[in-house]
Amino acid sequence: MNAREMAWRLFSSELNSATYEIKGDGEKSPSYVVTKLGAMVNRVLVAGVLTEKENVGTADEPMWRGRIQDLATGNFFINVGRYQPEAAAAIADIDTPAFVAVVGKVRTYTTDDGKVFVSIRPERIVKITEEIRAQWILDAARSTWIRLNNMKKAASLKEFSQTALVGKGFSERDAKGIITALEQYDLPNSAVYLKSIQTALRTILPEKNIDLGLPEDMSDSPDEIDIETGSAVGNSADVEDIILSLLEELDVDGKGAPRDELERRAESEGISSMELEEVSNTLMDKGLVYEPNLRYLKRI
Amino acid sequence: MNEEELRLHFEELKKELEGKIDDAQLMRELNTYLNEYRVTPEAAKRGIKRKYGADDSSSFMSADVLSKKIGDLKGTELNVDITAKAVYVDKKQITVRGNPKTIVSGILGDETGTAPFTIWEGENVELEKGAVYVFKNSYTKLWNERVQVNLGSRGRVERAEGVRVDVPERVVTSEPTEVKIGDIREGMGDVTVTGRIMSVEERSITVRGESKTVYSGIIADDSGKIQFSAWNDFGLKEGETICAKNSYIRAWKGIPQLNLGDKCEVSRVDDSFGEISTAVSKKTIADIVAMGGGLDLSVTGTVVDLRTGSGLIWRCPHCNRSVLNGECTTHGRVEAVTDLRMKLILDDGSGAISAVVNRQDTERLTGVTLAAAEGLARARGDSEIVAREMAELIIMRRMTLTGNVMSDDFGPMMIVSDAKIEEVDVTAEAEELYSEVEAAL
Repeated sequence: MNAREMAWRLFSSELNSATYEIKGDGEKSPSYVVTKLGAMVNRVLVAGVLTEKENVGTADEPMWRGRIQDLATGNFFINVGRYQPEAAAAIADIDTPAFVAVVGKVRTYTTDDGKVFVSIRPERIVKITEEIRAQWILDAARSTWIRLNNMKKAASLKEFSQTALVGKGFSERDAKGIITALEQYDLPNSAVYLKSIQTALRTILPEKNIDLGLPEDMSDSPDEIDIETGSAVGNSADVEDIILSLLEELDVDGKGAPRDELERRAESEGISSMELEEVSNTLMDKGLVYEPNLRYLKRI
Repeated sequence: MNEEELRLHFEELKKELEGKIDDAQLMRELNTYLNEYRVTPEAAKRGIKRKYGADDSSSFMSADVLSKKIGDLKGTELNVDITAKAVYVDKKQITVRGNPKTIVSGILGDETGTAPFTIWEGENVELEKGAVYVFKNSYTKLWNERVQVNLGSRGRVERAEGVRVDVPERVVTSEPTEVKIGDIREGMGDVTVTGRIMSVEERSITVRGESKTVYSGIIADDSGKIQFSAWNDFGLKEGETICAKNSYIRAWKGIPQLNLGDKCEVSRVDDSFGEISTAVSKKTIADIVAMGGGLDLSVTGTVVDLRTGSGLIWRCPHCNRSVLNGECTTHGRVEAVTDLRMKLILDDGSGAISAVVNRQDTERLTGVTLAAAEGLARARGDSEIVAREMAELIIMRRMTLTGNVMSDDFGPMMIVSDAKIEEVDVTAEAEELYSEVEAAL
């Protein structure tokens, strides 16, 4: 069956940092851009502010390029050509800036030095109200949160295969996406996505003092953070070592390291509380640490 | 392309076709290919040669012909030879674009499996049930996950003399599994179901030339409801609760249906369901894609596209099918009547489904009435404008759609019986998400 590909709701931070693509060979087997959270993206539904547009084609054969800002610093890049007549007609009539929603297929583009860019080829682009835009931000935040949790759940499993994940209740598609993401990128830096969720919640709940305890100076745009090399938390083995040494250091009376103290120290090392959780679970699974009680963690 | 340029190709083709086509006709063909459809001269010449049978035009038929067993067919073969027994044969008249046509269809079998077949040029074909034939140059398609064998104009069917093919009896692979009605899926095979007969009626139908009485209706439990057909008289009555052992599931257009056949044992059991809500069952689109279809299903999602065939359309006054340019595929030229409809794509982040919304709901959801749509189309001299206006009003709206769902090669489609726009309390839902995230960190 050739069912239509669903449209993923995700933030530009997740989409733009994807570099791996499963190449299909046309109609029967579509291509998917795999994000670091394991989304297998063929089509997206995104919304935000169309901040700029330019016709780089001709009046007769327009080729529109545009930028849509989803959250404070992130942008989606769109390309509308003559094979998307509905979208081309629509974008011509939209004055910037405007709230818009786009449904479209994702495309990747690799530069000579191997950098991968992701752009969207809209099938539909429509003007929306600020309220609908808020709905989209909520949807995208929620689905990012679900993917983050799925990734965390999957990473904590002992057996690590598509079949094992399906056995644990993951859908075939999610299982394949997660395994591919972990193979291609290793564990994601959850702080990046939590930051997007925080920014999203701040945008739709401006009155509320949203604070997920993330470093404020951290940007959620992948252009500025180089996740591969720049961040202190490069790979999970390093993080495990940091945590283990912290545990020893903080265990002053033999009862173990107090959780809250550990969290503070881990954060100053650039390890988010969520990541700390992940790593301590892994360490417990490996039998290296245990919980004498809920508020303490101790090295064995 | 002008006359002079056409003339060049004309001369070349004329030589190759050696009088198989007269000059005026050849010129008309060239003009159609090159000036109306604007294909390349190479493609045009290839097409015309193929149509009128120049000698060297057989080249693309040489694409490797393979012989395959039925069990090995993938449903994507373009040119395949199959030697098999005609297990069941039926010759019938159908109507294609208003013209009567004779086709031969039935079921083919060999030791690896069975597959339905259709011979589209069946006028002079006589197949004998139980005899073995070679289906030459046939092509296959996948429909409802089953391979179908087709024989088109370049296919041939020949009797395979002296060839013996054994088709094994259908093997019952498993004990019937006990299932809740809401969990029934297409392709499940034999099942045991307990449910209450919500309605039943007697119908007379013709099966393979014999008249037969079937008892069909709706059976429900506390998880859902399904259409059933009883092929024997089990004395089913509305309101009673039965356990149907060894019943089986067959899908019609992707909607699973429960069949009570010869093997089925029906017993009356105590009803433990209490009040069975006749209400709709709420599903995610991923659920529906997995199920294939069903009755009275309800989904909530975002409208992400409005497909062609939406907006102001014309229908045949006799068969109610939509017509283009006043020409009905069955009734020819007709005085078409106008109508409104939307063919939406609803996407809930788990999957996507198409949904057909009738005029009444289209008017209510968009505020565009049929009269207004006709007026707009007249004023702009363009009927497409109606769909464009509707797209702006409807795309990105969150909706709950209810209706019956069936599936074909393009996935599930809902015939919408009820549609409503969902208002979202973004603040409340965002606060909920915030507490959830905060609690987990």
